[in-house]
Amino acid sequence: MFSQLMSMVLTEDFLFSIIRITAPILFAALGAVVAEKAGVTNIGLEGTMMISALLGMLVSYWTQSWVLGVLMAVLVGILLGLMMGFFNLKLKTDIILAGIAVNMLGGGGTIFLLNMLVHMKGNTGSLSSANILIPTINIPLIDRIPVLRSLLSGHSVLTYVAFLSVLLVWILLYRTSLGLNIRAVGENANAASSVGVSVNKIRYIAIGISGAFAGLGGAFMSMYYSQGWNSGMVAGRGFIALAAQAMGRGEPVGAMLSSLLFGLAQALKNKVTGLTGLASYNYLVASIPYIVTIVGLVIYAASTIRRAKRHRKASEEK
Amino acid sequence: MKKYIAIVLCLLMVLSIVACKKTETKTEEPKTEPAAETKKVYNVVHLVNGNLGDKSFFDSAESGLKALEEAGRIKHKTIEMGGTDEDQPKWLETLYEVAGSGEYDLIVCGTYQMPDYLKEVATKYPDQKFAIYDDSTYVGENKNVVNITYRQNDMGYLIGVFAASMTSQTSVANINDKKVVGFVGGVDSPVINDFLYGFLKGIQDTDPEVKVDTRYVNSYVDTATAKEMALSMINDNGADLIWGVAGLSGNGAAEAAAETGKAWFIGVDSDQELTLPADQRAVCLTSGLKNVGNSLVWLIDELDAGREHWGTEVNLGLNEGGVGIVTDKNFAAIAPQAVQDAVKAAQEAVASGKITVPSAIGDTSKGAEALRDSMMP
Repeated sequence: MFSQLMSMVLTEDFLFSIIRITAPILFAALGAVVAEKAGVTNIGLEGTMMISALLGMLVSYWTQSWVLGVLMAVLVGILLGLMMGFFNLKLKTDIILAGIAVNMLGGGGTIFLLNMLVHMKGNTGSLSSANILIPTINIPLIDRIPVLRSLLSGHSVLTYVAFLSVLLVWILLYRTSLGLNIRAVGENANAASSVGVSVNKIRYIAIGISGAFAGLGGAFMSMYYSQGWNSGMVAGRGFIALAAQAMGRGEPVGAMLSSLLFGLAQALKNKVTGLTGLASYNYLVASIPYIVTIVGLVIYAASTIRRAKRHRKASEEK
Repeated sequence: MKKYIAIVLCLLMVLSIVACKKTETKTEEPKTEPAAETKKVYNVVHLVNGNLGDKSFFDSAESGLKALEEAGRIKHKTIEMGGTDEDQPKWLETLYEVAGSGEYDLIVCGTYQMPDYLKEVATKYPDQKFAIYDDSTYVGENKNVVNITYRQNDMGYLIGVFAASMTSQTSVANINDKKVVGFVGGVDSPVINDFLYGFLKGIQDTDPEVKVDTRYVNSYVDTATAKEMALSMINDNGADLIWGVAGLSGNGAAEAAAETGKAWFIGVDSDQELTLPADQRAVCLTSGLKNVGNSLVWLIDELDAGREHWGTEVNLGLNEGGVGIVTDKNFAAIAPQAVQDAVKAAQEAVASGKITVPSAIGDTSKGAEALRDSMMP
């Protein structure tokens, strides 16, 4: 059994699938990072991804252009983010409630939209075709190097965007004045407003960016990962992204690493269920991603406690 | 100002109530007309705990009811209750509503998610008749409920015979020399395993050397995960035919087959070759059919013939048209004659009772699970 697992895991296909599974989670996790930095918890990522996935796919079908589809998905994400911001900042709704509302819209509203726009129900069925899917890029030279090629080459355009976005978000947060404002508002809104920063404006921007990332995640789901949209297709990835944000301590690089961990765990789960004799333990195997999360959190907590202890000791000695 | 708004709102409410009533009386009018005939026209309501447009289950039921309505044998109304967790409270509410109205001769609902709600309501309204398709949780507990189930094991057997004969036809495109086929299931449950049991038996009876890679998505909507699993079956184990029995998730297996160009897809419940995108349609060889629509027609036939099945389970197989296999389009064009003949022979053998396919439902010996584990590649 072990050798069978090894023969499945020690393949380039496995590495490739980790990256593929990680990308949509990473998009949403980056969205969560930006919003959380500004002190806004965006739990509406799941719903935003659902709605963006649907409208992005439909626009790409109508225009027969995947670029316009992705742009539409981003636009929808931004609008939904701003809508949540409007309810939270202007109308003083609890942000969690606004997020739940968006998630419910993502569940039921999408079915309504689909029926209204193209008179279909449940899924977009045969609307999708290969030419409107997000294309993949083969990087010359690298695509000939074994192992490395499955990590770096042959992925979709959006997959590269996802990993580049980690860098972009880091630059945004730590190397721009907007990023400084975002962090200031998130740390202490009163202090920020006392030095003349418009708290609401910054939060609108942050949740708009957050929505844009969720939109990209949605486009990835319906225009590359799956060919077309079906109800419930995001299947909890928006929530896993929230966990990735928390596990990554709210930092872009941390969120990427924890997204990769989730990707690894899911990829492992998909392989392990195919092992001889393990089908009966299907539910146990399905919990691998969650067990990995708990183990990750324990290791993280233990290391912070140790660091805090060492810190205290050092200050006592002084 | 507030007063005016309040008055306007009140008027609106009254208007909406009045408007509702009017339409109600309208629908009731034609009901009485054909009653003069000898055959009764049943007034049926179909409660969909999801949405129409799944292009399989609910749509099949709906098409059966529509056919009955067009033939003038029933009047029917469909209520889509939504399929998410948030919609669940609505299911019970709607059941109470339609049962309490007393308007309907028969209330039809379906799937494994409904029996608890149905039992509660059926107990409260013992004079109301109910039919539930594809569920057998509380058979016989209410004397006013008929459970319609399908011998998906019969269907699985046919698909199994087909897959086992097909995987050794190496002259056909996409078929490799490994005798491995795949099964992507929704969840590890008796109903899904019933499909699987027949599938495995059909394979075993046809070619005992064929191995079956079985994996469960644990979701009926997560297409992406189903795709990952199917890709692993194709790339790691050389599966060249994959049967997707996982609702919308199952389509992920079709995507994997189309994308790699190394495998064929087999659909389930309805003819998926009609509904998939073009490139996936091209790799969909056949589909196992669960004819929910036919079964509802069968039920009305039985009622007209004076045979009542209240309080029992009716298990419909090949003979009653409850299940079947698609044998035209890609199947006819791509499958070699020998394979087609094998499927035809199996169809006859199962329908005539020469072969009895074992069932995973109510099977405490876990035969399906044992067979599944023994046939993994």
